Amino acid sequence: MANLTERPRHTCALGGAIATASALPGTIPVLHAPPGCASNTTWTQAGGCGLQLGGYCGGLSMPGTNMQEREVVFGGSERLQELIKNAQTVMEGDLYFVLTSCVAEVIGDDIGAIVKPFQDEGIPVIYAETGGFKGNSYTGYDLTLQSLWENFIPAAAERVPEKVNLWGIPPFFDAFWRGNLEGLRQLLRRLGLTVNTFFTAEDTLAGIREAGSASLNILVSDGYGTGAAELSRQKHGIPYVVSPLPIGPAASDEFLRSVGAALGLDRQRVETVIGEENRRYYRYLDTFVDCYNDMDLQRYAAVAGDANYAPAVTRFLADDLGWLPEVVAVSDVLTEEQERAIRQRLEKLSSGLRPKVYFTPDTSEIRRCVKEHWTTEAGAKYANKLTPAFVVGSSLERELAKDLQAGHLSVSFPVSNRAILDRGYTGYRGGLRLIEDLIGVIAVNR
Amino acid sequence: MGYFDQKEPPRREHRLQACIADGGTFSEVANRRMRCCLPDGERTFAQGNICLLLPALGIMNTIPDSVVLMHSAIGCGSSAHAGNAGVRAGNNARWGVLKDGTWLSTALTESDVICGGEGKLSAAIIEADKRFQPAVIFVVAGCVPGIIGDDIDGVSEGVQSQVAARILPVHCEGFKTKIWATSYDAVYHAIGRTLLKDAAPRAAKSSNARPVVNLFNVSSMGRPDEVELKRLLELLGLEVNIFPVFAEPAKMAQITQADLSVSTCPTHDDYLLRYLQETCGVPYILKHMPIGIANTGLWLRDVAAFFGLQEKAAAIIAREETELAAALAELTPAFAGKKVFLSAGEFRALATALLMGELGFEISGIRAFHHDEFAAPEYQKLDQAKSKDFPLNIANCQVFEEANLLKRTQPDVFLGHMNGNGTAAKLGITTSVIYNVGLQYVGYKGAYELARRLYRQLRNPGFNRNISKWTVLPYKQQWYGQYPFSHIKAAGGEVDG
Repeated sequence: MANLTERPRHTCALGGAIATASALPGTIPVLHAPPGCASNTTWTQAGGCGLQLGGYCGGLSMPGTNMQEREVVFGGSERLQELIKNAQTVMEGDLYFVLTSCVAEVIGDDIGAIVKPFQDEGIPVIYAETGGFKGNSYTGYDLTLQSLWENFIPAAAERVPEKVNLWGIPPFFDAFWRGNLEGLRQLLRRLGLTVNTFFTAEDTLAGIREAGSASLNILVSDGYGTGAAELSRQKHGIPYVVSPLPIGPAASDEFLRSVGAALGLDRQRVETVIGEENRRYYRYLDTFVDCYNDMDLQRYAAVAGDANYAPAVTRFLADDLGWLPEVVAVSDVLTEEQERAIRQRLEKLSSGLRPKVYFTPDTSEIRRCVKEHWTTEAGAKYANKLTPAFVVGSSLERELAKDLQAGHLSVSFPVSNRAILDRGYTGYRGGLRLIEDLIGVIAVNR
Repeated sequence: MGYFDQKEPPRREHRLQACIADGGTFSEVANRRMRCCLPDGERTFAQGNICLLLPALGIMNTIPDSVVLMHSAIGCGSSAHAGNAGVRAGNNARWGVLKDGTWLSTALTESDVICGGEGKLSAAIIEADKRFQPAVIFVVAGCVPGIIGDDIDGVSEGVQSQVAARILPVHCEGFKTKIWATSYDAVYHAIGRTLLKDAAPRAAKSSNARPVVNLFNVSSMGRPDEVELKRLLELLGLEVNIFPVFAEPAKMAQITQADLSVSTCPTHDDYLLRYLQETCGVPYILKHMPIGIANTGLWLRDVAAFFGLQEKAAAIIAREETELAAALAELTPAFAGKKVFLSAGEFRALATALLMGELGFEISGIRAFHHDEFAAPEYQKLDQAKSKDFPLNIANCQVFEEANLLKRTQPDVFLGHMNGNGTAAKLGITTSVIYNVGLQYVGYKGAYELARRLYRQLRNPGFNRNISKWTVLPYKQQWYGQYPFSHIKAAGGEVDG
């Protein structure tokens, strides 16, 4: 691990867990933490999650032990126990989800022993150990899902053949979480599947509790939620398939085929859906053809984003839109295996393009790498410069975009300069949304 | 030994007996001199809130030519993603450049927690110095180093000779204080012990030099508010030196040379102001907040009186008040008889309540984040100004108490802090954010701009009304029927019902 991380594009495991638990239907996150963990997460969401924060019980509404020196010295068990007990008379919740902090874990409070008497009384309380130092927000997402599989979702007696669970899109820290989940659910429904997505307006705790009867877990991420998929495979016997985040037709074709293969669906059925979706997608583009060509809307591109977005956007730009992604910066700190998986995906782009790939979370390093690649001899009369250019990244890439005199769109955390509600970039329709947003930037002064 | 000789500043629970839990009617609570929370446990049920790191970052991230190095797990300080909007806007307002703040983290892992993070911290300081070449590195401790025993002062001292930047250790261990206003002391403490320490003795001035006043802003004001106060002080013939937000490190020591320090909020600045007086002989004024029409006049009069400029001040105030009254005339009819509920830092909530009274609103409730001795004069002013009694709640956020109070008091307008308006909004109440550095609040111009916003917000409250029909708050129905302060453990055990 590096000694320092610059402007981290994450918060901690607890922050990720808070965002995840507060996105579950009817759930009250209960923080066993010092006072600031709630606000730190809230402000982080306000700053980087497409102007989305809170929900049913998020923000500063979450019960918390507000641990002080007394708890550090004498332990915080009593305080947590009192909090859970009194929460029953104040908070209306279908599930109380206790989440621990750095402080709680260092002092070693036994959360299992604290929640057990409540569970014995039939009060729906579960917990996850999400001390901030355990990892970043995406780790917290995984740990929260793991706790659901471990403590909330019973193993089912029977599998429902065409029922699947879908995850890999972390609430809030993927600012497009709801739209992305809905986009893929809509697509999978076209295959005739029943889909549990945990976090959308359609999902319910009752439905989530029955997730154990699914025949397949679909993980649309090379990095986020893998632990939960592995746990569910071992404990519930549900196999899983990993796909990159599918944005646009090329990735969505592959996504549908891989799900079809994993479930043993009739190939013709899958190909029919793929055909219909492509026809629909290109029918929309039909009316854009003239302007796209006349306005010369092809761009060189630099892409910076997390392990989901960086490869997914790059593939869309290269293989669907016909742009030229030159440099890709993946801003997560990943294992060698995860890095290799992402590299491999970017080495087999059907367009034949081979962008330079960097792995660094540091904004100034991303800026340096991209600028270095972009630099051509200044002042030459004939210079084959990488213009016109576009930067797809986080809000922190605005300074880079200024350097390159390029258009800029924020898609990966932090997304501080866009309001995101139900927008999503997944599937075929998501590709259309992304085109609208990219071209909207270019055409803004038209 | 003075406070500034210690590594860490004292927490405000001890230094000021500040507290965070009380509730009752305004008259009752104000008159029992606010003895409130027990020192150890203040509520039997509580919600998460804010720690001192958040406001401390609000100052540090603005400092030009600085980097903020968090020594903690990777999450501590990620609130800077929100603060960065203010940094960008602040840079733009002052220098015409949209520039991000720079914050860094040692991102302590599980193995760092076990083995200690001091080695990582010293390497990170050296790397930060090399990579960013800042004038100042704030080395900020979160909770983890406070528990595992990493010594940020020792590490900083150890590597200071190896780096060009000045290292400022700042203590923001969230579990060490309930009073997040301790954050201002933490940042002032760090600046005092480093950048102000070697300041030259206060030099004698030529008699025809304009008097210089330090005007303190810990980021509770945006640039438009600074401009308004600067305008008023310059009308008195004073030169204004704004500190500490957006102040260049190399020029910070200038505050030791000023003729007077003026606070805009006693909650923020007493710690440094006393230090400047004791060590540098700079006298200070720490009394009124220039929010509200009368308050702005009082604030300006105090400054003027110090320099013997009372008559000049009286003339300025008379002119400003006349001009403002004329401008407000078309807005205030819309406010008559409307009930307002306010929630913010203690001083700001009270001062803004006085302004709301001046605009014609009736106060239906006040919530203050904490209580300390500085607010006593504001309570007196409000006690005299109010037409009827209303609930007062001392609460470090604790939105469940707020939801209960809002159901009871049914205000027309709610003025809440950043990320503190959602509950009122979901109840369908018109809201107006009481603190947002992009907006104007302070002085005569601020009073007008707040009135103008309220006028607009009340003209179409549709967004919140519609939201309220389709969203629910996470509280049990039975809670709304309970006494709102029933979870407060008060000193002596009594809470009047």
